[in-house]
Amino acid sequence: MEKQLIISVGREFGSGGHEVAQKLADDYGIALYDHDLLKEIAAKKNLKSEDLEAYDELKWNRFLYRTVRGLNSSPEQNVANLQFDFLKEKAKSGESFVVVGRCSETILREYESMVSIFIRGDKPQKAERIMKYYNMNEKDALGFMKEKDKRRKQYHNRYCPIAWGDSRNYDLVVNSSRVGVDGCVEQVKHYIDLVRKYHK
Amino acid sequence: MLAQVLAIIIFLAMFLLIILEIWERQWITLACGLLTLLLVFGLGMHSMGAIMRTLNLQSFFTTGFWYAAGESSEASSGINWQTIIFIAGMMIMVEGMAKVGFFRWLCMEIAKMVKYQVIPIFMTFMLLSFVLAMFIDSITVILFLAAVTIELSQLLEFDPVPMILSEIFCANLGGSATMCGDPPNIIIGTSLGYSFTDFITNTGLMAVVSLVFVVIYFYFAFRKELKKSGANKKDHASYPDPKEAITDKRGFIASCIIFLCAVVLLVSHAQTGLTVSTIGVAIALITLIVAGKDAVELLKKVDYKTLLFFVGLFVVVSGLEETGVLKILAGFIGSVSGGNIAVMIAIIIIVSAVASAFIDNIPFAATMIPVITDLASDVAGVNLTVLAWALAIGTDIGGSATPIGASANVVGIATAAREGHIIKWGKYCKYMAPATIIVVAISLAMIYVRYL
Repeated sequence: MEKQLIISVGREFGSGGHEVAQKLADDYGIALYDHDLLKEIAAKKNLKSEDLEAYDELKWNRFLYRTVRGLNSSPEQNVANLQFDFLKEKAKSGESFVVVGRCSETILREYESMVSIFIRGDKPQKAERIMKYYNMNEKDALGFMKEKDKRRKQYHNRYCPIAWGDSRNYDLVVNSSRVGVDGCVEQVKHYIDLVRKYHK
Repeated sequence: MLAQVLAIIIFLAMFLLIILEIWERQWITLACGLLTLLLVFGLGMHSMGAIMRTLNLQSFFTTGFWYAAGESSEASSGINWQTIIFIAGMMIMVEGMAKVGFFRWLCMEIAKMVKYQVIPIFMTFMLLSFVLAMFIDSITVILFLAAVTIELSQLLEFDPVPMILSEIFCANLGGSATMCGDPPNIIIGTSLGYSFTDFITNTGLMAVVSLVFVVIYFYFAFRKELKKSGANKKDHASYPDPKEAITDKRGFIASCIIFLCAVVLLVSHAQTGLTVSTIGVAIALITLIVAGKDAVELLKKVDYKTLLFFVGLFVVVSGLEETGVLKILAGFIGSVSGGNIAVMIAIIIIVSAVASAFIDNIPFAATMIPVITDLASDVAGVNLTVLAWALAIGTDIGGSATPIGASANVVGIATAAREGHIIKWGKYCKYMAPATIIVVAISLAMIYVRYL
């Protein structure tokens, strides 16, 4: 049986982190879990996925929700927990996969088979990518980028002890603006080879 | 003046910090309680007497704390140890019942009794929620009812959200019916010296009448969603056997007997003279003795955080009371109402309901007790008892209106959300706020007709 491989991909908005994750999943022939993960959870529980997706990777509002005996009523936290449980279950089953975001580098930390990476980028290149992808002008792209990264940071830091983007949280931090998406993929694959060789 | 300002600042800071949930709420109230002792009573008032009255440790050594035959115990200020001891005792008993599978067995047995039909389950679970919450804390009631409802919804293929919402409402309503159903009632009862019978014949009557209207309301509100279910597709034999829920048969029988004894002791405490603190200690001791080697496990499961929360809270509220802030508030309500009792009752019930819909009803009730006591003593012709029932119903029921108003709401919503059934603020309030208004209106009308 092939040794388990879990790749956790954290990313700045516009860095191409999702594309890196997709290419890694394709190259290794393993599943990719991103926002579509909620579709799988919804199908399994006979729910509408849109009801869950509305709260994906969001921080909950302290004024609108409460915690009683460890139970929190916020949809954001419960949707996050559903995803965490799903990922833990997959990891426990021995499945290999690539996961984008979802605090995976923290919640799957106990798995030696996990390699965590963070894809960052320089502002001009990220803005350019967003302008192209979303058909926006530069000002809107920069605003959109700021907003998305702020939300990701708030969401991540709500559940993880080490801050989003802090290099101590990841095995590898790569700047996609310096080496491009393919360069990132190459770097990560090289790193995974080294890890596997080291732990042989 | 300095003491009053400090007491108000500490009180408001406590409320804000509880809402923000930066730290666990028991540490917030305890820290604010400590600040009250040091700054309000020490720095502001230089009063050792106020500290002693607030800590209220001397109450343990009075006969009235344990036995109050033939007369109502005196209204007391400071830390309400009777409430804390009673709640601790009930927690131990409830943990014992949960451990042997009592609640799951009861829910499953009722579902089986109504032949696993969705609408009858919906109706009976509302009644079950109401009755259980009369004697057991509504958090525990909803914890088990919501979990079983979700399990049944998967078996019978129905949307569990309408059922969970109606169970939450009925648990809060049931809690308002008795002295031990909801913490505000325990605090009101022990602080003002009312008995279980006093509550059941006053708030209990209002709750039962309201229940009839509430059941009809929820039936019409949710009937379409519940009728969409794919019920009865499977063979009943494939459903879980209620008996499987029982983990220890001997313990189960013992738990049932202890629960019945607790109910009898509570119902008859005005006649026997046993106070709620004595009843709390007695049922806790019996539960622990019966549990044998599992006693330590039960003790570990007690929600000490809530008990500590109460201790800190009572100290902070005493800061407002000792400095006369609550007297000023009472004077304000008295002048706004122009001394008119009908207006006063309406203000208390509506303000209590609205406030409890957004903030924790326990600190609110604890704060309002000295206020209504002052109102009754300062304004001629105002009966304290009537104000107490208005306060009890307002604080108990108002909490149902929003998702954050009462602990049972949070637990119910969270239990549903953990399985992916998201209950948004909009959906919650759409169904629960009108039900709250119905109950407040019925209660107000009943108070007017009966007491004025």
